Amino acid sequence: MDRTITPIKKRLQLHPYALAGLVPACFFLLFYFYPLSGIFIKSFFQKGKIDLSFLDQVFASTRMMKIIWFTFWQAGLSTLLTLICALPCAFVLSHYAFKGKKLIKILSSIPFVLPAVVVAAAFQACFGNNGFFFGVKIEHPLVLILLAHIFYNFSVMLRIITGFWSSLQGRTREAAMVLGASPVQVFLNITLPLLKPAIFAASTLVFIFCFSSFGIILILGGPGYSTIEAEIYRQAAHLFNLPLASFLSLIQIGFTFALMWIYTSFTKRAARFSPVAEYSNLKKPVFLWEKMIIASVVIFIVLLCVVPLLALVTKSLTHNNELSFIFYEALFENRSDSIFYIPPFHAIKFSLLFAGTALVIAVITGVCAAFFIRFCDRKIDNRLTSFFDPIFMLPLSTSAVTLGFGIIITLDKPPLNLRTSIFLIPIAHALVGFPFVLRSILPALRSIPEHLTDAASVLGASPLKIFKAVDLPLISKALVAGAIFAFTISLGEFGATIFTARPETPTIPVAIYRFLGQPGAMNYGQAMAISTILMLVTAIGFVVIENFRIENSEGF
Amino acid sequence: MENELVLEHINKKFDDGSLILQDIDLRLKQGTKLSVLGPSGSGKTTLLRLIAGLENPDSGHILFNGQPMNDCPPHKRNFGLMFQEFALFPHLNVFNNIAFGLKMKGMDKAQIESRVNEMLLLTGLTGLQTRHVDDLSGGERQRVALARTLAPQPSLLMLDEPLSSLDRVLRKRLLIELTTIISKLNITTIFVTHDHEEAFAAGNMVIVMNTGQIEQTGTPDELVQTPKNQWIKEFLGL
Repeated sequence: MDRTITPIKKRLQLHPYALAGLVPACFFLLFYFYPLSGIFIKSFFQKGKIDLSFLDQVFASTRMMKIIWFTFWQAGLSTLLTLICALPCAFVLSHYAFKGKKLIKILSSIPFVLPAVVVAAAFQACFGNNGFFFGVKIEHPLVLILLAHIFYNFSVMLRIITGFWSSLQGRTREAAMVLGASPVQVFLNITLPLLKPAIFAASTLVFIFCFSSFGIILILGGPGYSTIEAEIYRQAAHLFNLPLASFLSLIQIGFTFALMWIYTSFTKRAARFSPVAEYSNLKKPVFLWEKMIIASVVIFIVLLCVVPLLALVTKSLTHNNELSFIFYEALFENRSDSIFYIPPFHAIKFSLLFAGTALVIAVITGVCAAFFIRFCDRKIDNRLTSFFDPIFMLPLSTSAVTLGFGIIITLDKPPLNLRTSIFLIPIAHALVGFPFVLRSILPALRSIPEHLTDAASVLGASPLKIFKAVDLPLISKALVAGAIFAFTISLGEFGATIFTARPETPTIPVAIYRFLGQPGAMNYGQAMAISTILMLVTAIGFVVIENFRIENSEGF
Repeated sequence: MENELVLEHINKKFDDGSLILQDIDLRLKQGTKLSVLGPSGSGKTTLLRLIAGLENPDSGHILFNGQPMNDCPPHKRNFGLMFQEFALFPHLNVFNNIAFGLKMKGMDKAQIESRVNEMLLLTGLTGLQTRHVDDLSGGERQRVALARTLAPQPSLLMLDEPLSSLDRVLRKRLLIELTTIISKLNITTIFVTHDHEEAFAAGNMVIVMNTGQIEQTGTPDELVQTPKNQWIKEFLGL
């Protein structure tokens, strides 16, 4: 057969889809691996010599060890609390059909797509001075951090566990019942063992998110509560201790890669044990206790997911206890005499500009990567897919702060000096958004049967024409979803932006961070107003993505 | 009568009010091998699910051994149901899949082992007990599903299109194996299928269903020789 006779190298050279692989490969080499190698070199080499003096600065420092320990236990506690909140809700959503369920599902999903700075601002609005929630005021930073982490990650936990639990509601459960298992026995012997990998996978993912949480820690934690991520920023941006920041980044990379590996293995186990979802077996609540459980879950989800956002909107529209648009109007005025003052609407303008550019970069590289992977799948050898696919997902397991830091310490000198380039921000954003674009497109592309492209080919279409006439129209919805992902991620990106943004080109999240860090009701109000705008844009983006998304275990 | 299954005026509606089952009456004596034959959507599977207790009838009564079954949960009925897609437990190996019902009955380890080995022998699976169910062929999976259903010695055995997910060649071979195994047991059996060849091979009594109603009841010979109406004639390809 041809496939085995033609050498892989030769077949790679022949096809445009093989050449397309060069685009993401070059992008990754330049803007991912090169910056990471910069971090590695900065960690171990000073003036061309090996220097390990910073090891003492980490391992002999009580403060640093406390930071590492805090990073772990706050992530662990946040994960545990999120799991406790999500499990009963997942039970109800996977077992019952009730009115308004779709709305509740959308509401519970929105927090996850919100930028971290917006979440932090929302919790300040909810529990800060003149607390929105029945006047409750929470001053303890740790409590606010934990609450914000629960709010932020509740939806991802709920989504994974509900999806999996729903698939266990079918024949497998019924088979156990017919074989004499009582409902409790079914839960202990069937549901729980099958659900366990999904629970562990969801928990590991949430742990990773909390472990690399940056915006929330920075804004709500204050100086007293620092994580590895926040400390990298502090060491690099405030103390200019780049070797120490680099070493902390290496520690961060090591931990997140290890955690991502654990997550992947849990996901594989969950997929292996996942029974095929045969049919929908949702119950309508009949008994009073069932109705009461559903009502409690609905109230809880509304309180958790809606109240902080409502607080944000209310605070942005309230001045001196009256309805007012003053904070929104202020966003478009230059209220400072300083020539260094950048009016907030410029931040909106820059954000849109960067998000648009990031979208173009992420979509081009994402489409090239997706076509290259499918080409490897079908025409070359799926071992190449197993090699490249995880590599393309690496930015997902690398914290944005690490990426941003790596970019500014390496791309500031020849051969690639982009220090003053306006493209540095969209490049960083595109890198963060790239895995989401790829994961949106790839399932759609893989779902196109091979015989369809073969038919087009036999009918005389060249690979380029097949791309334009067959593949592109069929993946258009997924492509739109991926593009919106890239756009909204860029709009809310904070970790990498805080390193790469120049003072004169702030983005919306950077402007929010600046406003929250300044005293006065006007600054606070503007932070609320600009956060509300960002929240609305990302929430709308999410709703659109949901409509375009392809339900598939590969996708997000 | 001992272990007699009786269905009286069973009705079941969809959520939109349309009927899935309409006034079903059925009486099965111990040891009857009944085939339920009908096209897709005729209500065959729903009928099995009602008997198994996985769904409740909107009206009518189900009695077994003289006892009303309507309010009896599925795990207390001691009926066996082999699902169309087999529904093997993906986290358990062959042995533990077959042993599941026995464990639920609270049998001790030695009894479970002895019964599982008996089932492995009956279904020709000896040697595969430690195999993961994902690593089995279609035919082997079908046999594990049958062994698992038979292991707890159910008073009534129901098979929901047990051969439909297999290819044609395997289907023919396994139909013979399946009917041979079932004929060795003195157990009331309900075999659901849309294939009349399978129905005639598996049952000494056949009911033909269409749009939620029983069109005709009889032996395979009676159905072939005196089909009650044109629809049955066409459905059986006569």
